[in-house]
Amino acid sequence: MEDKIRKVKQVAWISGVFTALVALLLLLNYLQLSGSEPLESKALTTLVERLVSEPDNQQLTGEVRQLDLLARKAYFNSIWQVRTGALLMLLGAIAFIVSMRWLLKMQFSIERPDEAKAPDKTTRTKTERWLWGAGGLLLLFGAVAALLSESKLSPIYAKSPLAKGLNEGVEQIEIQGTDSLAAGDSTALADSLRAEPEIPLNETTVKQQYNGFRGPFGQGVSTHTNIPVSFNGPSKKMVLWKTKIPVLGKNSPVVWGNRIYLTGATASKRMVYCIDRLTGAILWEGKVDKIAGSPASSPETTDDTGLAAPTATVDGKRVFALFANGDIIAFSHGGQRVWARNLGLPDNHYGHSSSLLTWNGKVFVQYDSQGHCKVMALNAETGKTMWNTPRSNEASWSSPIIATVKGKMQLILQATPNVAGYDLNSGKQLWTVNCMSGEVGPSPAFGGGLVYAGNEYAKLVGINPTSGAIVWESTDRLPEVSSPVYYKGLLFVATTYSVLACYDATNGKLLWEYEAKAPFYSSPVIADGKLYIFDTNGKAYVFNPGKTVHLIGTSVLGEKVYATPAFSEGCLYVRSSGNLFAIGKPL
Amino acid sequence: MIGMKHILLFLILLVSFQGMDAQVQRFPKPEFQTAYKVPTTVEPAPTSLLMEYVDVLVLVVVMSLTAWFIFKKRSRKGILWLSVFSLAYFGFYREGCICSVGSVQNVSLALFGEGYTLPLTVLLFFALPLLFSLAVGRVFCAAACPLGVVQDLVIVKPIKVAPWVQKSLGLFPYVYLALAVLYAATGTDFMICRYDPFVGIFRLGAGFNMIVLGICLLVIGMFVARPYCRFICPYGALLRVGSHLSKNHLSITPSNCINCKLCKNACPFDAIDFPVEEKENKATRTDFRKFMLYLVLIPILMAAGGWMMSASHRLLASVHQDVALSEIISKHPEVLLQKGNVDVDTFLASGMSLETLNKKAEVVREKFRVGGWYAGAFIGLVLGLMLLNEVVFRKREIHTANRSNCISCGRCMDFCPVEPTGGKKGKKK
Repeated sequence: MEDKIRKVKQVAWISGVFTALVALLLLLNYLQLSGSEPLESKALTTLVERLVSEPDNQQLTGEVRQLDLLARKAYFNSIWQVRTGALLMLLGAIAFIVSMRWLLKMQFSIERPDEAKAPDKTTRTKTERWLWGAGGLLLLFGAVAALLSESKLSPIYAKSPLAKGLNEGVEQIEIQGTDSLAAGDSTALADSLRAEPEIPLNETTVKQQYNGFRGPFGQGVSTHTNIPVSFNGPSKKMVLWKTKIPVLGKNSPVVWGNRIYLTGATASKRMVYCIDRLTGAILWEGKVDKIAGSPASSPETTDDTGLAAPTATVDGKRVFALFANGDIIAFSHGGQRVWARNLGLPDNHYGHSSSLLTWNGKVFVQYDSQGHCKVMALNAETGKTMWNTPRSNEASWSSPIIATVKGKMQLILQATPNVAGYDLNSGKQLWTVNCMSGEVGPSPAFGGGLVYAGNEYAKLVGINPTSGAIVWESTDRLPEVSSPVYYKGLLFVATTYSVLACYDATNGKLLWEYEAKAPFYSSPVIADGKLYIFDTNGKAYVFNPGKTVHLIGTSVLGEKVYATPAFSEGCLYVRSSGNLFAIGKPL
Repeated sequence: MIGMKHILLFLILLVSFQGMDAQVQRFPKPEFQTAYKVPTTVEPAPTSLLMEYVDVLVLVVVMSLTAWFIFKKRSRKGILWLSVFSLAYFGFYREGCICSVGSVQNVSLALFGEGYTLPLTVLLFFALPLLFSLAVGRVFCAAACPLGVVQDLVIVKPIKVAPWVQKSLGLFPYVYLALAVLYAATGTDFMICRYDPFVGIFRLGAGFNMIVLGICLLVIGMFVARPYCRFICPYGALLRVGSHLSKNHLSITPSNCINCKLCKNACPFDAIDFPVEEKENKATRTDFRKFMLYLVLIPILMAAGGWMMSASHRLLASVHQDVALSEIISKHPEVLLQKGNVDVDTFLASGMSLETLNKKAEVVREKFRVGGWYAGAFIGLVLGLMLLNEVVFRKREIHTANRSNCISCGRCMDFCPVEPTGGKKGKKK
């Protein structure tokens, strides 16, 4: 027996020492590996840096590969070592435990029985006290947790106006004089997250923003510079962020400060989205509902127009959005609903798509419905109608622009059969020219003292808004969906048959044309002195706008594009079929 | 003393478990532009459902055999080898999952959560040990639970834990159970699985903290037998109740106890109740007053516990990923600008608005507020009943296994010199 005990002791010792040694080696291995990053070895980094400056050096490439392979081999070798070591240690531990138990069993002897008592009263009282102690500790812990919950987290919680909104329920505000207005739930989280300095509202500051369809005053020219001329969506080259827009819409992004606005709609819901320009985070989403007079069901629209084709417009305090069912709504930059009303269901067989435009406290609405065409100015603060001018034309899908004619701003609209100018303050029609026909989708352009209007199956015209005379007309290349843009004496027109054409804006002479691979629905925009345009396949073209064709960059987004891009602070923002992309140089 | 030296060695080796899985996916794929095509990621096929039913079958067989070893064969050796099998099968082969202990959370989520369907096998893993405990005591703990068995096998020199310490610490499994159910029911976390101290050993790899926790428990378990089972395990808390109400239970003696006291030190879990001398424990008027007081205190303790847990709902809910993200963005909006934060990046890529995130966080907080009342009240109830139990005196004339605390390991059976009636089975000691 003694001999057996001695042998078991030896086994216990050997297995114990063995497992301890393996454990020590594993510990050292862990300490060594936890402090090193194999890919960041100095040698490899130096070689990679050299390779960047000498990309064609084949010998260097070979050396980097060799070193990389060695590092990988070492890494996987260490993994094998750890696994094997762990297994060996486990076996050693099992041997140790078994031998220990065996040893204890051999050395076991039954103790002489003595008094074994059940807990007496003293013990029970002690147990009670300990239980009270444990319970007290739990209560103390709970009280501290409750206090922490209240005091430490409350400031964060209270900071979010959301909490207030939820607690108080939906607030209904009646605005006098506007019979179909409603205001509702408000969540101004964005205000608490990112305070934005208020931008004073004047012509200069508006031109620095991108506050409507095709930019400031709808003229398709952005003042922002340093925009990338090439990028790649799939490989994320120059893609700062990509945000999925939960509800689809064919409208384009607009930008005010650090906020981007978009809308989306389905048959059952209409939404306004505010997106952080820097990060792509959706700061808030405004639900467009509970609007008096809003039709119970959404109108029938075609897929390429949809229920949210009109682009929103934004001023220093609010964003305004219009939908195909006639709902128009205003939200503050923080997401608080300011006013909402329904303009009446438009009779429009593709779906209403005229975008809004705001200036000087008014929101301009081109509301060309079959048999009931009108242009309105709504009070930006209250939504009340400031003026309403009936129009004698057919339904259109074009959007208004604002142009300065003879030193005074006027609203310019185009539809079949006319192109017309309206006074911004009174809504009075200032001039009109009968020159359009067909279903008008493109919006007019302005520059060099002329208004330019065009439509497929009709013609492209240059109109003098002062005299109402047609200065020139052309039928060479005509737009159908995309709107023309004027820049330094040139007029650019993109067509649905994939051609981008450049005209001499003074006489209508076709200067050059460029044939792309896919149709253009998106409108060309001038930014950073260059012309940017996307085809429907999501391919972007950047031209140096001149009298000869000069393509300076093409890029692939990787997703379909029907919307027109927006520009701000060195970045291009484009909405694809499902996402919003920010393209720019990394900060 | 030789044992102590070996224990120290064992301690060192266990500490070094930490290195096992430290290198987790630190090697990105090469960035060279070569003709090599990186194979597309293929999701592995789900594990066979058949294997899950095999697990259930094995569980039933192990528990049935354990009961057979206890009631028919009275064999500690049989239970020991059965438990070794369970450790090998449920622990190392099935890597600690599926597990009855964790199934509490699945059941809670299925009952109170949304969009979760409870698999039948998980339900069986939850219900079968409970049903067995009602019928024959904690046979699951004895030989089927790999967490219990791994501790059982390392018991070297168990010390007696004072009854007041044991009972006070015995409150913790109920607290853990309440929290685990609350966190699972709110869809926040499966904390029992997250803090499973032994799964890392079964899988030969886990986070540093969990390996250290597992090793610490095993080292403590050499001297304080099965510390996880007795003072932590939330499923054990349920099985205690089942075993307490069980129809049949392991008995130390096969026939009539002769109070020889040989089993005095047999149980490493201090689960043997000794005979009570009535004159020493006779209830007095003070005891009766205390009984009445505790009876009245139970609803007060429940209300206090409920209020405190409910009042702590924001703190408790802050573990939930939506709540945590919502709070961090509210407090530090600059995280939205930082690249590389996986949670923020995932949130941004999801297309979800901050407003929606905050609403979701608020819904979770509300669940915690309501659930906190139930969880806290449960803890208050348990504390009240434990206190009440201390002033209730029961007459006991023989040595018996405490139905709640006994895990039916069968150690005490080997110490009993009494022959079974009829003398056919069982050895004479």
